[in-house]
Amino acid sequence: MPDSKPHPIILGAVLAGLLIIPLVVRDEYYLHLFIVSAIFVVVALGLNLIVGYVGQLSLAHAAFFALGAYVSALLFFNLKWSMWIGMPAAAIVTAAVAFALGWVILRVRGHRFVIITVAFAEIMRLVATNWVDLTRGFMGLPGLQIPALYVPGIGAVDVSSKERFYYVVLAAALLSFYICYRLVRSSVGRAFVLVRENEVLAESLGISAFRTCMIAFVVGAALAGTAGALYGHYIGFVSPDLFNFSYITIMLIMVILGGKGTLIGPALGAVVFTFLPELLREASYYRMVIFASILVIATLFMPRGIIFPLVEHLVPRRWRKGHDRAA
Amino acid sequence: MLDLAIFGQHLLNGVLIGCAYALIAIGLTMIFGVMNIANFAHGEFYMMGGFAAFYLVTLLKLNYFIALPLAVVLVVVLAVAIQQIVFKRLRDAPVMTTTLVTIGLSILLEHVALLLWGPQPQVIPNPFPTRPLSFFGIYTTPLYLFSMAVTAALIVVGHLLIQRTRMGKAMRATFQNREAAALVGVRIDRVYLYAFTFGAALAAAAGAVLGGFIPVEPTMGGVATLKAFVVVILGGMGSFVGAIAGGLLLGLAEALGAGYFSTGWKDAIGFFAVILLLLFRPEGLFKRA
Amino acid sequence: MQSRLSVAVIALAVAASAAAQETVKIGVVQPLTGPVAYDGNIYVNTVKMLVDDMNAKGGVLGKKIELVVEDGACNPAQSVNAAEKLVTRDKVVALLGAFCSTSSAAMMEVARKHKVPHLTAISTAAQLTEQNNPYFFRAVATTPMLGAAFGGELPAAVKGKRFAFLVINDDWGRSMVSSYPKPIEHAGGQIVGTEFFQSSDLQFLPYITKIKAANPDAIILAANTQHAVALSKQIRELGITKPLIGEGSWTSDSYLKLAGPAAEGVYGLVEYVYTIKNPINAAFVKMSREKLKDNPSKFAGAAHNAIHIMVDAIRRAGAADPEKIRAALTKTDYHGLVGNIRFNEKNQAYGQDVYLARVTHGVPEVVKTAKIAKP
Repeated sequence: MPDSKPHPIILGAVLAGLLIIPLVVRDEYYLHLFIVSAIFVVVALGLNLIVGYVGQLSLAHAAFFALGAYVSALLFFNLKWSMWIGMPAAAIVTAAVAFALGWVILRVRGHRFVIITVAFAEIMRLVATNWVDLTRGFMGLPGLQIPALYVPGIGAVDVSSKERFYYVVLAAALLSFYICYRLVRSSVGRAFVLVRENEVLAESLGISAFRTCMIAFVVGAALAGTAGALYGHYIGFVSPDLFNFSYITIMLIMVILGGKGTLIGPALGAVVFTFLPELLREASYYRMVIFASILVIATLFMPRGIIFPLVEHLVPRRWRKGHDRAA
Repeated sequence: MLDLAIFGQHLLNGVLIGCAYALIAIGLTMIFGVMNIANFAHGEFYMMGGFAAFYLVTLLKLNYFIALPLAVVLVVVLAVAIQQIVFKRLRDAPVMTTTLVTIGLSILLEHVALLLWGPQPQVIPNPFPTRPLSFFGIYTTPLYLFSMAVTAALIVVGHLLIQRTRMGKAMRATFQNREAAALVGVRIDRVYLYAFTFGAALAAAAGAVLGGFIPVEPTMGGVATLKAFVVVILGGMGSFVGAIAGGLLLGLAEALGAGYFSTGWKDAIGFFAVILLLLFRPEGLFKRA
Repeated sequence: MQSRLSVAVIALAVAASAAAQETVKIGVVQPLTGPVAYDGNIYVNTVKMLVDDMNAKGGVLGKKIELVVEDGACNPAQSVNAAEKLVTRDKVVALLGAFCSTSSAAMMEVARKHKVPHLTAISTAAQLTEQNNPYFFRAVATTPMLGAAFGGELPAAVKGKRFAFLVINDDWGRSMVSSYPKPIEHAGGQIVGTEFFQSSDLQFLPYITKIKAANPDAIILAANTQHAVALSKQIRELGITKPLIGEGSWTSDSYLKLAGPAAEGVYGLVEYVYTIKNPINAAFVKMSREKLKDNPSKFAGAAHNAIHIMVDAIRRAGAADPEKIRAALTKTDYHGLVGNIRFNEKNQAYGQDVYLARVTHGVPEVVKTAKIAKP
C-alpha cells in the first residue's frame, strides 16, 4: 500500500501541530495520553515492519517491548545507569534477542511461525515472573526516573515534566517514523513487499527472504525495545504485567486497524487506540467487547484497515505530491 | 511406602488432567487439520461449556446428569452459529487473517462471558459424595473418577466416529488432500461444519465435566487454548491420535515435573518443547517421520 | 449486576460534578474488570454505601462527598492512567485504592508527582511504605506484620509443629514465605515445604500432592476467593484433613458459599471479619445486609477503614486541600471498626486489631485477637 510523499506545506503544518501540543493542551491528562500515544507509535511502527511489510504475524512483539522496559529498568535499578544509556542498551539487547530468535524461526512460516512466537512470549513472561533474584518477580522494579538531558551549550535540562517529556517521546516517534520511511522506500523496503507478496518470485530474483525478514524482525524489535525503555521510565514502574496478552492485542489492533503496510496508518492507529480506550472509560466493561468485535470485523471485511483509507479519503489528492509507486 | 503412594497420586493426577487436555486438544487439532486454522478461540468453548452446565444446574435446577449433555448441546448451537458467521469466511484465507480473527473472537467471547456472568469463579454443584476414596494411599473422589471415565469414553467415541463413520472418513480425506476429496464428491462445507462443531462439543464437555472441581471463570479459556496448542504440537498438527497421546503426555509431564522438579517452571517446559518440535519435528513426537 | 452498579456510580459522579461544584471529590481506583474484579467491586460498592450514609448525615466540611470511581483492572499501566485522570481531570483532593500491590506501587508515583494524598487499605506488599513517598499511606497490616502478630501463635492454635506453605507466586505469597517462618520456628514449629502456584492456575493437584509428601500438620496458604475455593476443595479431595490457615479471602461470604463443606474448620488470618463484636461493626454489618444483601467481607472492612480515615483527615484538615489533608493524615488517631489506627513515620498503620478466625458451621468465629505493634 503506497504512502504518498507529503507536500512540504502539509508536512510543515503537521510538524508544527505536533510541536505546539503541550502549549495548547493544558489538560495534563490529555498530555499524558499524548505521551503514551507517541511511545506506542514507536511500537506500532516496529510491529508494522513485520506484520505489515514482510507479512509475518509475530506475537512476540509485546515481549520485546517488555524486554526493553526490563533491560533499561534493571540497568537503572542495579547500576544506576540513566535512561539515556538504558534506552540504547534496551534497543541493542532486544535486537540481539530478536536476531537469535529470528535465526531459528524465520526459516518457518505460517502457523508454525505464529505459534513459536507465542511460545517465546510465554517463556519470556515466565522468566520475568520466576527469576525472582533478577527481576524481583511480581514485585516489579519501582522508582524509575526520567533523567536530565544534557544539551551541549546549555547543560543539564530537566525533562521530567509532562510538557518536556512530550518532546522527548515526540522526537523518538518522529525518528522512528523517519527510519521506517527511509527503510521502506529503499531497496530493502521493496524486498519486504516482494517477499510478502511472492516469496518464490523474490528468491528467484536473488532476494533472500530469510535476510529480508530478519531485517524487519530485528529493526522492529529494536523499536519495541526502545519504546519499552521510554515507557518504563515514564510510568516509573516495570512488572511482569507488561507481558500480558492484552498488550500484543492492542498493538495488533493499532497496526491492523491503522492500515498495515502503510506508515501513517499504524502511527495514527497508535494514537487513536491509545485515546479511545481512555475516552471509553465510562464504558469500561464494554470496551474490550467493542475492540474485539472491531478487530474481527476489520480483519474480515476491511483488510486495508480503517484509518489509512480514511486518511486517503479525507486528504485531497492534489495535496499529496505524486504517489510513491515503489512500495 | 509413602513415596510410592505419592508417585501413584502424581500419576493419577496426570492422567486425570491429561484426559482433559486431550479432550480439549482433539477439537483444536481437527480444526487445524481439516480447516487449516489455528483457532485461538477454541478454549472459549471449554469455558462456555462450564458456564452452561453451571447455570443449567443452579438457575434451572436441572439434574446434573441431564445438565451436562444439555450444556454441550447449547455450546454446539453457538458453535454452529460461530462457524456459519465467522469461520465459513475463513476458508482459504491467509494465516494472518485466520489468526487475527480467532484472537479477536477469543477476546470477544471472554469479555462477553465476563459481562454476562461476572468474574467470580463458580464450581458446578454435583450429586457426588465429597468424601475422598483411598486405594493404597492414593486418593481420589467419585467426581474425579466420573470425570476421568467420561473424558476417556468421549475420546474413544470420538476416535470411533473418525475411523468408522462416513463423515469421519470424509474428514480424514479432507485433511490428507482437500482438492482430491472435493473431486471425489466430499462436501467440504459439511466437513468443515462437522469438524468444527464436533471439536467445540468435546471442549464444552471437558468444561462441563471438570467444572465440578476446577472452578469455571471467564479467563480460563485463554489458558486452555495455550495448553491445547502445546498438546497439538506434541502430537503433530492435525493428528487425532497424536492429540490424545500428547494430552496424556503433557498431563503426566506436568504432574511429575511439578512433583519432582519445579512447579514454577513447569509451563516453560511445554513451550520450549513447542519451539523445538515446530522447528525440527513439525509432524509431532509420535509419527514416524 | 455489579458492573451496572459501578457504571451507575461513575455516571452519577459525572452528572453530579456538572450540577454542583460544592463537593469534596475523592478518587477511587479499584479493579472493576480483570482477575480480582469481584473483590474490587465489593470495595467500591461498600465505599459508595458509606459515602451515601455520610452525605445523608451532612457530608464533610458542610459539603457533600463526591466519589469518582475508575477501573484499574489490577494492571499497573491502567491504574496509572486512571489515577492521572482522577487527579488532573477530576481534580480529586485524595486518592483511595489500587487493590493489587503492583498497581498501588505504580499509582503512588502519580500521587507523589501531583502531591495528592493516596491511601490504600488492601495492598500489603511490605516495600510499598519503603519508597519514601510522603503522599502514600497504608491503613492495613503488611504480611510481615501479620506474621509477627500471629506466626508464634500458630503451633499452639493448630496443635502441630510441621507447617507447609502453599502460596500464590507474587509479592504477597513471597513475603509470607519470608516473614512467617521466624516466629513459627521461635514457637517450636518447623517449615517442611514451600510451594508457589501461578495466578492462572485453578488446578492444584500437583502442588497439593507435593505438599502431602512432606506430611505437614497444617498448611499455610495465601489466596483470594478465586484460588481459595479450588484450593480448599482439592486439598480435601486428595485426602488431606489437616488444618488450613489462610491469609486472604478465607472468611469472606463468597468463599464460604462457594467452598461449602470444604471451608469447615479453615482458619483465616484476617484484618477484618464480620463476626467481631463492637458497636461500629454491628451498625456496619446491619447496613451491609440491608443495602448490599451480604455480610461485609475483608475488602468491605478495608473500604470502611479507608473512607473513614480519609474523611476524618479531611475534616481535621479543615479544607479540601491535598497538602493539608496529607498533613492531617499523618496525625491520624482513628477509633473505628478494628480498634485504633495511627500511622508511623513511614505512613504505615499500626495499633489496629487483627484476627485469627475459624470457620465453624459455616460462620467465621474469632478464636484469637492480636494488636499490630508499631513497626
